[in-house]
Amino acid sequence: MLVFAASDKGGTGRSVTSSNVAYRRALAGDDVCYLDFDFGSPTAAAVFDVPGASRGVASAGLHSHLQGRHTEPHRIDVWAESEHDELRYRPTGSGRLVLLPGDRDGGEFAIGKDTVRRCVNLFLQLESEFDVVVVDLSAGRSYAVDMVLEATAQPELQGVLSRWLVFHRWTHQHVIAAHGLVFGERGIVAGGVERGHDKGALRDSIRFVRAAVPDPESPLWSHVPLAQSEWMRKCDRDLTELAAELELGYARLLGKIPLEPVLQWREQLITDEDVLASKVAGMATRQALEELAAALVDDEAWERQ
Amino acid sequence: MAPPDRDRRPILCGEVRTSVLRTSEALTARTAAQLLNLRPDEHVLLSERPNLRVASPQLLTGVDCRLPSLNGSRPRAVGTVAARAVLTEGRVLQASAFARLVPGGGDHRKPWGHYLLRPGVVEPLGRHQDGEFTEGFLAAAPLPGGVLNPGAVAERLLDEVLRHRLLDQRAPFKSGRTRLRWVALPAAGDGVTSIERFTVAADGLRTVALRVAPADPSAVAALCEDLALHDWLLTTLVALVERSRLGSGDREAVLTALRPVVDHLLHLWMPGARVPDVLSGVWETLERRPGFSRQWQALVQRIRDQVALQTVSLPRPVLADS
Ligand SMILES: Nc1ncnc2c1ncn2[C@@H]1O[C@H](COP(=O)(O)OP(=O)(O)O)[C@@H](O)[C@H]1O
Ligand SMILES: [Mg+2]
Repeated sequence: MLVFAASDKGGTGRSVTSSNVAYRRALAGDDVCYLDFDFGSPTAAAVFDVPGASRGVASAGLHSHLQGRHTEPHRIDVWAESEHDELRYRPTGSGRLVLLPGDRDGGEFAIGKDTVRRCVNLFLQLESEFDVVVVDLSAGRSYAVDMVLEATAQPELQGVLSRWLVFHRWTHQHVIAAHGLVFGERGIVAGGVERGHDKGALRDSIRFVRAAVPDPESPLWSHVPLAQSEWMRKCDRDLTELAAELELGYARLLGKIPLEPVLQWREQLITDEDVLASKVAGMATRQALEELAAALVDDEAWERQ
Repeated sequence: MAPPDRDRRPILCGEVRTSVLRTSEALTARTAAQLLNLRPDEHVLLSERPNLRVASPQLLTGVDCRLPSLNGSRPRAVGTVAARAVLTEGRVLQASAFARLVPGGGDHRKPWGHYLLRPGVVEPLGRHQDGEFTEGFLAAAPLPGGVLNPGAVAERLLDEVLRHRLLDQRAPFKSGRTRLRWVALPAAGDGVTSIERFTVAADGLRTVALRVAPADPSAVAALCEDLALHDWLLTTLVALVERSRLGSGDREAVLTALRPVVDHLLHLWMPGARVPDVLSGVWETLERRPGFSRQWQALVQRIRDQVALQTVSLPRPVLADS
């Protein structure tokens, strides 16, 4: 399965949340591969705590692979190379967790026929090796988004299951922006149709994920004055309404990750150690990530219209 | 002192890339021949004994490159790399590329006509050291750009075939690709073929160094394809058995996971089946240690035991007799 992680803006939580989902799929036993297609800011390796690659690798990253400068894109075995204490040993029963980092000196680039061909080859190869292939895409209707829309429209990829996760924060502007990214005139659906995708099928393969959602009921806010608490509840209700109007409502919602203080401070994977032993991260966050990772591969969650 | 160039027997170098064919059903001989019909003017090679193997015609790629070396000397070399694609039992696809380094190419590049008359020959311009080349070529790291790289030729060919319209892109099980890079140096003295090195680097690259009796270069390349095929089979079987969590509680889940192994892989093991006698020493060595077939048979036995157990304990068999 190919999973494309998109967002209209940077800083939404796309990389951190999708990395955590990749990690949880691997814990569940899937062989997982994570591709850093955020060519402008390839930081996925930092989330996985891989030394020397936190801002991308010096050579043979995905960027130079897609441009034909390196036949073999660099692969990082996260279980073997991560410096994170909890990641260094592969838990029994878990699957592989492999990261294909970007290049340090990347940047967006124009897409030619050859780039698309290399991209198709890469997807086909990884899909035949891994259960889940997560592709972290540059924000907005970027070159990266265009390239994967083009690639997935090719006949060779018709037999391959593709799913899109669109990440957004839980604010008025972010909800509107996420709607625009998917359904707007220059959105993913329109761009896909232009490239030969079936409109209905493409729409049905897109789900939204709300990241860093403040929960008015959370103990974090238990000491705020009543008026403020009332106000937060009202905002939440209004946003829920707005989301429903803009087709980001329940039917297209795949997951909701609470605002997590640990992630506020540091881009990282939330391990069970963080939650259960040292208790620095919230149980609710772990639970939400776990549910999102399960929903990703749950066909029923993708059949809701 | 090194012997003069013209007395040196050429060394061979190449790389094999092996992948599952991404199709739900193994191809028949006819469709396999269609798939590998890569040159309209030449036929594919088809052999049905002891198992089905189809090979594409040979393709040539012109190269004007540097020879790898560890000391950075990197002499220039010009010629052609020969490549072909091979499909075993309609299921496992390999792309194999190799070149023969023939010394005595002079100091200057000749017109392409000269090189085209020598398919699969690369001529170093000026002097080079076989030892330097071998070490540089087999070094685990990816070969730098601009350097003689049969692996890149093989990779392009593999990707091209794997994208063919005949394939539905649905492989029956997940598996990775393997890369096997090899050199064959002339055997000294009595000229007996032997294997000097078979290593697996951290990045998965297999490197093989052979000493070979005088033999047709394509027969040596075919031997390396056979090594690569069986190395891939074993690697893939180990990974699939591990994934099935054989030995853990849920028998039915284990069997579901192993079913494609039984259907698509177990009958493919035939080491050395097509290797000519002068080269067969290599398989004899590998069978003694590390003992490829021993490991394969042990895994197969475990799988068969599971299937048998399950058939006994279930009211109706989950797997047909295999
Ligand atoms: N659930 C969350 N709660 C709090 N902060 C979060 C959460 N998810 C992500 N963040 C933080 O938001 C910032 C942006 O996240 P990131 O994943 O890098 O965004 P993007 O990839 O969309 O640019 C990071 O500092 C990250 O740690
Ligand atoms: Mg990011």
